[in-house]
Amino acid sequence: MPGVVLNIIIAALVCWILFITIDIIFRLPEKGGVSGANAIGTTIAADKGSLNGGCMMGNIVCSPDASAGTLLAACGVFVAGIPGGLLAALLVYIGNRICHDPGYAGTTGAFCATFLIAGFGLIGIPADAFIAGMVIAILTIQGVSHPYASRLLTKLWKVRA
Amino acid sequence: MIYDAAMIPTYICGIVAVYAVIRILTEKKTLKKLVFLNVMNFAITGLIVLSIPDIMVLLAGIAYFVGSTLEANAIASTYAGGVANE
Repeated sequence: MPGVVLNIIIAALVCWILFITIDIIFRLPEKGGVSGANAIGTTIAADKGSLNGGCMMGNIVCSPDASAGTLLAACGVFVAGIPGGLLAALLVYIGNRICHDPGYAGTTGAFCATFLIAGFGLIGIPADAFIAGMVIAILTIQGVSHPYASRLLTKLWKVRA
Repeated sequence: MIYDAAMIPTYICGIVAVYAVIRILTEKKTLKKLVFLNVMNFAITGLIVLSIPDIMVLLAGIAYFVGSTLEANAIASTYAGGVANE
């Protein structure tokens, strides 16, 4: 039981760092990819938040980004190993195009996460820990406090920009 | 109740989904509801795949997630003024 919980905590930290890094490399906080993402960004900014972080949160809502890619790759690896993860990456690519998103953050995230999760599987952290870990990671960004999360994301974005 | 450590990831997804639904119900602004709805979609996708580990269920989970993202995108963009505002 402590081993399972420890695995999930490690997986959550790895997922958090992975998806934030890839999203910021692909310039998600710069502006909303669609008008809905911009609207979510300005709503969060108006509510004591920050605009760049809000735009990134809007982009996460409006199109499968690296966080969705990580979750679906974890699901794929859990069900069918590395081929399952690559299938998830392909479907995330199709999902990006359906959602009118010109970027490649989701596909890259799913692709990187597939090999990362398969690698962690070799040292004893199973893929189901990564599914729970990614759910916890997205909860800390989208589900606890929008003002604090958006300010944190803006700070990280300023390091990149 | 039988206690099983292997079920912990499933329980975490379930608890997060219920928490997200409570936040959706207590939030007043529609656009901010969508952000909490996104958390719920993550948790439900995890629950779908963790409950039945099968390749067709993986496809169903991904289809659910991409479809729900598309719906959130459509609702948010309609609120923002639609295609005319893009």
